[in-house]
Amino acid sequence: MTEPTNTQPKLASSAGGSIYDLGYQGYQGRRLARRDVLLSLYGQTLRACYGIGRGARAKIVPFTLAGLALIPAIIAIGIAAIIAQAGPAGSRFDSISPIRYHTYASAIAVFVMLFCAAQAPELFGRDQRFGVLPLYFSRGLPRMDYAVARIGGLVGGLLVMVLVPQALLFIGRLLTAADPGTGWRLESPNLLPILLQGLLTVLLLGGIAAVIAAHTPRRAYATAAIIALFIVPPVIVELVTQTGRTGLGRYLVLLSPGDILEHTNGALFRTFADGPDVLGRDLPDVAYFVAVIAIIVLTFGLTIRRYRRIAV
Amino acid sequence: MTTDRTVAGSPAEFAAPGTSIVVDHVSRWYGNVVAVNDISFSLSAGVTGLLGPNGAGKTTLLHLISGLLRPSAGGVTVAGVPAWRHPAMYRHVGLVPEREAVHGYLTAREFVLLNARLQGVTDAEGATLRAIATVELQDAADRPINTYSKGMRQRAKVAGALVHDPAVLLLDEPFNGMDPRQRLHMMGLLRGMAAAGRTILFSSHILEEVERMADSVLVIHAGRLAASGDFRSIRRLMTDRPHTFTIRSSDDRRLAAALLADPAVFGAELGDGKLSVRTADFEGFGRALPRLARVAGISLFEITPTDESLESVFSYLVRR
Amino acid sequence: MITRMPLIAVTLRGVLGRRRTWLMILLASLPVLVALLIRAGGGQPNATTILDTLLIRTVMPLLALVFGTAALGSELEDGTAIYLMVKPIPRWHILLAKMAVAASLTIALVFPVTVLTGLITDGRDALSLAEILGYALVVSAGGAAYACAFVALSAFTGRALILGLGYVLLWEGVLSGLLEGTRFLSIRQASLGLAAQVTGNVTTPPALDLATSAAILVAVVAGAILLGSMRLSRFEIRGSDG
Repeated sequence: MTEPTNTQPKLASSAGGSIYDLGYQGYQGRRLARRDVLLSLYGQTLRACYGIGRGARAKIVPFTLAGLALIPAIIAIGIAAIIAQAGPAGSRFDSISPIRYHTYASAIAVFVMLFCAAQAPELFGRDQRFGVLPLYFSRGLPRMDYAVARIGGLVGGLLVMVLVPQALLFIGRLLTAADPGTGWRLESPNLLPILLQGLLTVLLLGGIAAVIAAHTPRRAYATAAIIALFIVPPVIVELVTQTGRTGLGRYLVLLSPGDILEHTNGALFRTFADGPDVLGRDLPDVAYFVAVIAIIVLTFGLTIRRYRRIAV
Repeated sequence: MTTDRTVAGSPAEFAAPGTSIVVDHVSRWYGNVVAVNDISFSLSAGVTGLLGPNGAGKTTLLHLISGLLRPSAGGVTVAGVPAWRHPAMYRHVGLVPEREAVHGYLTAREFVLLNARLQGVTDAEGATLRAIATVELQDAADRPINTYSKGMRQRAKVAGALVHDPAVLLLDEPFNGMDPRQRLHMMGLLRGMAAAGRTILFSSHILEEVERMADSVLVIHAGRLAASGDFRSIRRLMTDRPHTFTIRSSDDRRLAAALLADPAVFGAELGDGKLSVRTADFEGFGRALPRLARVAGISLFEITPTDESLESVFSYLVRR
Repeated sequence: MITRMPLIAVTLRGVLGRRRTWLMILLASLPVLVALLIRAGGGQPNATTILDTLLIRTVMPLLALVFGTAALGSELEDGTAIYLMVKPIPRWHILLAKMAVAASLTIALVFPVTVLTGLITDGRDALSLAEILGYALVVSAGGAAYACAFVALSAFTGRALILGLGYVLLWEGVLSGLLEGTRFLSIRQASLGLAAQVTGNVTTPPALDLATSAAILVAVVAGAILLGSMRLSRFEIRGSDG
């Protein structure tokens, strides 16, 4: 039973036995601030959005959707390159190319919505399903910080998905312009609208997805509910306004996320003159922006409230 | 190695060839990980304990036997029918899985009744009543299962597995979460069923349960079958490990000296009013001891083998 | 099937009896609500348009998706399916029972909704009673086809819901509209084809004809049953350790 001569450092020792010093110490140094905690949770959420840090299966859906969102941009650059080679005669095609900044959003809308429906339940539902919220809330992480970090991560992930293709388009068109100066002159007015529209899109869709996912731990139902809320209202709006009585349709538009974004898109890019006829366009532009802000505030607020009040 | 137990004097109700479990060189791997490695055995009536540390492959083996996993190699036959892709086999098999949750919104009565009906039991209500009485769940039988304690959930699962009177019963860690009284009751129940001719295979990593319940054991370690049979016989087969006996006699010291002269004895230790003797040759020592004691004029009061517990057998087997 | 009643009953209980059911009823009643809304606003709702766009293209697949994935998928996911598997019941019986539940629930919602919507809308483009009933049958057939397909999908993967959504939104919504030749790979197009037969509407591009549409739906159901049964008969329990 007696050990051969043991040279480990000892904390305490007597004839009968010893306690060995394993080097454990209390930590007396600097501790990170609340902001750092929030940022690290935000970073983890952002990575989880794309399945990074988990197995390959978790990456399939987000990367596929993000990749699909990128394809129109790649095609457009290809077309722009060909046009540039065709010289001035080719510039006619440019104005009727279907893939432009202000049409991009509606082109990839479906992918963004599917992304929300697929990933939001993962980000908000998993912790609730597996009962790990007590682990988060018993640390120095205020409940609101948790909610903000999660929402921020989702929004960030969506922003990447929405802005990267636009950035690609922008750079592509810059590079294929006659010269950098002209290119910058032509394209740079679009920068602000791209950013703003992108932000509004991700905040609106992300907020709606977040509030549903936060209240619905079961993944399948959260997904179905999010998708239903995205695709059903536009259909209803179209049906109602199609009958010609715009009285009701005018206001119903404000409840349909897809349509609201169409209007802000049009307003920001000022393309209604030559663009497609958008439904319910009887309200002043500012009404749509107010609606967007209102819904964003509502959904974010409800999500934060959910985590403040959830019983763990 | 065939382990057959015949329970003396019991009517062979289930003695038709359909009672046995035959596992024939079965392996199961997941990519590079071999969960079950070339295991063969066959069982008939009686209680067999599947013993092994966590991660040894007990649950995988039970899933293979119950047709819920496809063997990567080899085959399993239960009640004369291959286990894989033959749902007809389940008429004779009851399974109590460890992890799988029961529909929480059903009451125990509804759950057992569902099982009875799906099994095609002729008097489903009657069988349900009997099954619930057998596991002593009558008082709680009409509450939803998601209000039960863990032990009650286990008992509901067992009732569901018994309701169709199967000839073969497979249980994965069945005493998990049961309090001592429930455990005793369940053990008695299972032993009674085995005595009536059923084949019962249960897995556990708790040695005392297996020691108390099982007629024979299958020791599984890292996916391989380390030993099978009655654990005392297994112990005797472990010849490279000396047996230890504790002896009380009228003169321990002189007896120790006499024993040490015998080549079968490795060592003797005096202490505490007892003599501990280590010997490799179980049979030889059994003959030598009385002879030596008589020659030396010493009376023997008590002889106890001290390491025939399942624990020592098990620790030897898994440390190899 | 009588002997499979307990199977059907437990599936029904598992799928219904929750908040989800009310949401599905709400979702299903949207066409009726929209028609009422339009009339309340003084407009003339067009039954065919409402039923085509809101019901066949949107609500019907969503309902079938939720019921279809819940009937089998939820039990596979939470592990309670084991207790149904270890029974002396052929696996295709189990599959059929699940499909019957999913399809019936879908039909139980879409049939009355179609009839109600048809009755509410009147005026110039009103449908006759025979047309309304015909439409309801079409919607029931399409819904059943979707439901069976999604039940079979749940047997293959735990992500049946998002995959089903991808199919409905991406494949049926976008691609098969673009690629003319793939129209017959779409349950939606088959349903729309049958609907066009009932109402006599002419659309561009022309809807699929009766024989093709019917064949597609039958093929979908038959394929779902066949593939789902094969998969279910090879059901293996997921990742055990120890």
